[in-house]
Order: sequence, then structure tokens, then C-alpha cells
Amino acid sequence: MTTDGAKAGTTPEDAGKALQKQLLAEYYHSLSDEGRNGRKVAYLFVPGNVIELVRCFDMLPVYPEINALQCGIKKVAGELILRAENLGYSSDVCGYVKNDIGLMLSDRASPFGQLPKPDLLVCNYSGCNTFVKWFEALAHFYGAELFVLDIPYLRERSPSTADITYVVSQLEELANVCARVSGVPFDRDRLRHVLELSAKAERLWVEVLHTAQGRPSPFDAYFEAVFYMAPLNILRGTEGCVEYYRLLLEELRARSAAGLGPVPEEKFRVVIEGPPPWPHFRSFWELFKRWGVCAVASTYSKVGGLFDQGIYHDPSRPLESIAEYAMNSYTNWNLGLRLDLLKRYAKEYNADAVVIHSTKSCRSFSVGQADFRDALTKEEGIPTLMVESDLADPRYYSEAQIKNRIDAFFESLTHRRLVGA
Amino acid sequence: MTMYVAGADVGSTTAKVVILDRNGEIAGTSLGPTGASIVEAAQRRFREAIEKAGIDEHEIEFVVGTGYGRFKIPFGDTQITEISCHARGAHRLFPATRTIVDIGGQDTKAISVDGQGEVVDFCMNDKCAAGTGRFLEAAALTLGLPLEEIGPVSLRAARPLRITNVCTVFVESEIMSHLVRGEKMEDILRGVHNAIGVRSIALLRRVGISEEVTFTGGVSRNAGMVRALEDQLGIRVNVSPLSQYIGAIGAALFALERARGPKATVVSEEST
Repeated sequence: MTTDGAKAGTTPEDAGKALQKQLLAEYYHSLSDEGRNGRKVAYLFVPGNVIELVRCFDMLPVYPEINALQCGIKKVAGELILRAENLGYSSDVCGYVKNDIGLMLSDRASPFGQLPKPDLLVCNYSGCNTFVKWFEALAHFYGAELFVLDIPYLRERSPSTADITYVVSQLEELANVCARVSGVPFDRDRLRHVLELSAKAERLWVEVLHTAQGRPSPFDAYFEAVFYMAPLNILRGTEGCVEYYRLLLEELRARSAAGLGPVPEEKFRVVIEGPPPWPHFRSFWELFKRWGVCAVASTYSKVGGLFDQGIYHDPSRPLESIAEYAMNSYTNWNLGLRLDLLKRYAKEYNADAVVIHSTKSCRSFSVGQADFRDALTKEEGIPTLMVESDLADPRYYSEAQIKNRIDAFFESLTHRRLVGA
Repeated sequence: MTMYVAGADVGSTTAKVVILDRNGEIAGTSLGPTGASIVEAAQRRFREAIEKAGIDEHEIEFVVGTGYGRFKIPFGDTQITEISCHARGAHRLFPATRTIVDIGGQDTKAISVDGQGEVVDFCMNDKCAAGTGRFLEAAALTLGLPLEEIGPVSLRAARPLRITNVCTVFVESEIMSHLVRGEKMEDILRGVHNAIGVRSIALLRRVGISEEVTFTGGVSRNAGMVRALEDQLGIRVNVSPLSQYIGAIGAALFALERARGPKATVVSEEST
């Protein structure tokens, strides 16, 4: 199959891409000195974020994790990390944190524009114990207010009533803080409206993800999904976000109907676990493409929400559904739940193999991955490849070694197919 | 005219070439340091192996390159990773092998294979060279011993020391501190070998250890390392005088399959 054709003219693909570009450009403009119009800035973390609540106070959301990954793709992360290390941060500290500290030391001048200082730091403490230390450091350097939203780890399949009550009470408290910082009173009707828009986008996104069950998958559910998910993290709760996912779904359905996929011929369908090596994103993807590999599901594309597991925001239960959403972030799930999800993805998306990209920086991701590999290969008989580098620090990426492993893995899968056939 | 094939394994430390005849018998071999020029090292080994086989270059029908330098081998027809090649080569020398541990210059690999020598699973050390051949080189250098002597010396240990570092950089200072305390060289070296053994076995456990276990790669020529692995595993491991050539033998076997017919099962990276 070829990817020629269906590209000319104004296809749905052009429309989706164009809208995403426009929306993100507007977002980055809104963060600039000219664009803010007196609006206050809230820094958030992606997993279990409370963007809907923040939005009700006209506050602008900024995600240091997204800034870090953008710096990785734009190849400036290495420099920024060194700046933080010159300040005394150890090589063992998370690359995202050091990237962010490096940005701060560079007066927040990024390749995607001038970033604003935080007025409020909302540490949605979900699954990553570095989060607290990260925002504590920012609170210290910027002199900004820090609100720690303590999110209980998901020990069972669903959060307990006590856990939900606990998070809801903190959300009420956070609403008061946001009202004070922003000068905008809390309007519960507005929150319901924002949540309604979030839920619409979330449901469309789940339909997008499900298109990967087709053969060939119309998109790469890892290497492309990480771009598709940006509006869901940054713009959730807006009309533009809903419209983007409507167009994206239309585009992918058209690609499915035309039998088009991200690789000329889909030879292997894989589930990918772990964040990408951002500073080497393209070359890492190429190593898979040359074997005709298409990711049909991934866990990283769920860091902003496990919507496909039925976790949606609900305007009829505003704060409760935010609490449930926050507790159900992927890295806040216990290891048993995560392993179970990998197994289900492999089955539901008809995957041939699982690929684990283990990163030194992100312990909330990498803890347990060796056990996942063990369980998947030995108990489920699913071939599983593990490669290691980092999500932000370019120094931890060794292309020759990674290529070697990927080649050996798909070489043996191909060989097994040939001799097994 | 007899048909020949070749396997060229250009690793981080040494380059190896093996020539097989149409029956898969070894006709010539060559081994030497890789050095700075992969191309030159590969060519030199190739020419020497041809000379030893007493054949002409044009009699070689197919060449498979493997090892880190595989894409730089100017005379290679295709490339296959050393993981597949080590599996194939070890299975050829020891058909009952199911687990392979390959300790090379900068890599340690654990590979599990099926009855046909196909790779079932594999694991490698991370980017860091801890617990690889380089670690032994660092130890030899610190102690001022030639690399080939450290294995035999370690076998004389009466009271092996515990080396806690597997970091190739930090092991030097740990060795120095033992020397300062007056510890014996053989006891230190046994500790060094045991430390690599522990790390390699951890990798082996990840793919599962089933007999027979075959030890390949340059480090398998080190008797002290063989002993350390056997002691810790509690079983004998296969070692061949051809250990260092196993990757090249595997590559040559793939070359033979490719040369033999159109229905070759060789999967080359370039063809994908």
C-alpha cells in the first residue's frame, strides 16, 4: 500500500493539522506578554491535571513537562540540562526537571516563544514523587504560591469513596486559592460547561484511538498519537479542542477507508510502553519504520488520561469526576493494573509484540518495566523488546545499541514468521 | 568450482572473518583488532581468511556482515545483527544449547534460543559498559597485567574479595584501595570476575536459564570468567576454542542459506 494520493487538495487531514497548528499558535501567543491581557498563569503537571478547574478562573495553563518535551524535540534540552547541572543538579535528577530549571535560568526564552512566570503552581501530585520537589524548587525560585493537590495512588481497580472525598475537599480548597489569585469568582455552572466540552473531546479521542484496531492502522498510536494528544492536554474544555478531534476522527476514518497507514506496508503491530526519547524522536521512529512497524496502542499517549478505560469527565459530577480522572492517570495506577492494561492492549489491538522504552529520568514509568517484560514474555508468550535511554537527556541515547536491539528483535520475529509459516 | 561464503563480525574490539565451504565446513578464519578504521580492519581480516582458505576472492558467493561495524563492511552483501548470528553460531557448535551468554568488548548479551538456533528472547546490558570486557581491561590495566593473564591469575585465589563496583571507571579506585590494604592480586581479580558473573547472570535470568548454556564472545577465552560463571550457575557452560568466531560463523551460516537458494530465510535489514 502506498501513502500517495489522498493528500492533494483540502483533505480532512489538512484541516485537522491546520486547526491544531492554529490552536497551538493561539495558545502560545496567549502566554506571551502581549497575549496574556492580565490573565494569571497556573503551572500544572500533565498526569491527572485539573485544567478544567483552572480554566474557570481565566487562568492560563502552562505544563513544564510539555515545555521540556518541546525543548527535547527542538534539540535545546541538552544545553538547558547542562545549565541546571552547573547550578548543582545531579546527573541522576530527572531530565524534565533540569530542562525546566535550565529554562528558568535562561529567562524562560524557549524555541516556541517567551514563557510566562507562574502565579500559581498546582502540583497535581499524581504518580510521580519528583513532582513535589520540582514545584517546590520553582516556588522557591519564582516566589510563586504552591498548592499541593495530594492524589492517592490507585491501589485497587477503582478509587475508594474516601479517596474521592479526600480529593474533592482539596479541589474545593484549590478553587478558593484560584479565585483569590485570579480575582475571578468560582462559577460552578461555568465548570459544568467546561467539563461538558472536555467530555466531548475525550469521547472523540477514544474513537480516534479505536481506529488503530483496523488493519492497517490509519495512524501510529505512539509516534503520531503523541502529537495528536497535545490539544487534549493543553486545550481540554474548549470548543476548539472538540472541533480538532472531530476533524482528526474524520481524517483517520478517511485514511482507514482508503487503506492508508503510517508505514507503506504494516508488517508488525506493536504496543509501546514508556515515553519517547524526545531529543532523538525522528531517528528513533525511523528505526521502527524500516521494519514496517506500526504502534497500534501505547501507554504514553494515556498520560493525559485513561479515557479509553471509561474515565471521562462528567458535568453532572463536576469535582468528583475530576478527582476520579486525577487518580486514574496511567502512572498513578498500580503495577498490576498497568500490566493488565498492556496485556489487554496487545489483545484488543491484535499486536504482534510489545516494545518497552525505559527511561532513566522517569522512574514513575520505568519502575516495574522489567517485571512487565517478564510477565509478557513468560506468562503471555508475547515477544517483548526492551530498549533504554532517556526522555529528555540526549546523552543517554546510544543509537548503535538501540538500533542493534530493534533490528535483532524484528529480525527474529520475521524469521520466526518465515520458518513458522 | 566450489562455492564459498563468508561471515564478517566487526565488533567494538576485534574483527573476525570466517569462510565456509558449501558443506558448511570452516575453510579459513582470521581475527585481529578493530582499531580506528573499521573498513581497513574488515578488509585485512577478509584477505587473510581468503589466503588461509587458499581460495580466490571471486569464489566467495555471499558475505554477511555482523557486529557494530556491520554497515561499514565494504564487501558485505547484507547485514544481520550479532544477536541472531551468535544464536546461529552457538547452535552450530553446540546443537543442544538453549541459552547463550555473550560477553564482548562493550556488550553483554543473554540470548535464549530454540532447537533450531532461532532467537526466542534476548537481553543486553544498558548503554553503560559495566560488566563487559571493557571492565576486565580496566582491571588489568590498573593491576599492570596483560589482559590474557588476569583469568589464570584469578584462578589461584584462596580468599576471593568482594568487588562492589561494576562501574568500569570506579572499579579502578576500588582495586587501588584493595592494593593499598595489601590484598593479593589473585583475590582481587577473582572478585572482579565474580562481579561480572553476577551481572551477566542477572541478564541470563531475564531470558531464563535452560541448559545447555554456551558462553561466547572474546571474554569466553578467559578461564577465570568461565569459572566464575560456572561457580555461580552451578552448571558447566559450553566454551569452544572457536568462541570468538561464533558471531562470524553464524553470519557465514546465514550467508550459506542465502547463497543456496531463492527461498532463503535470511532476513536482511536492507530488504525491509
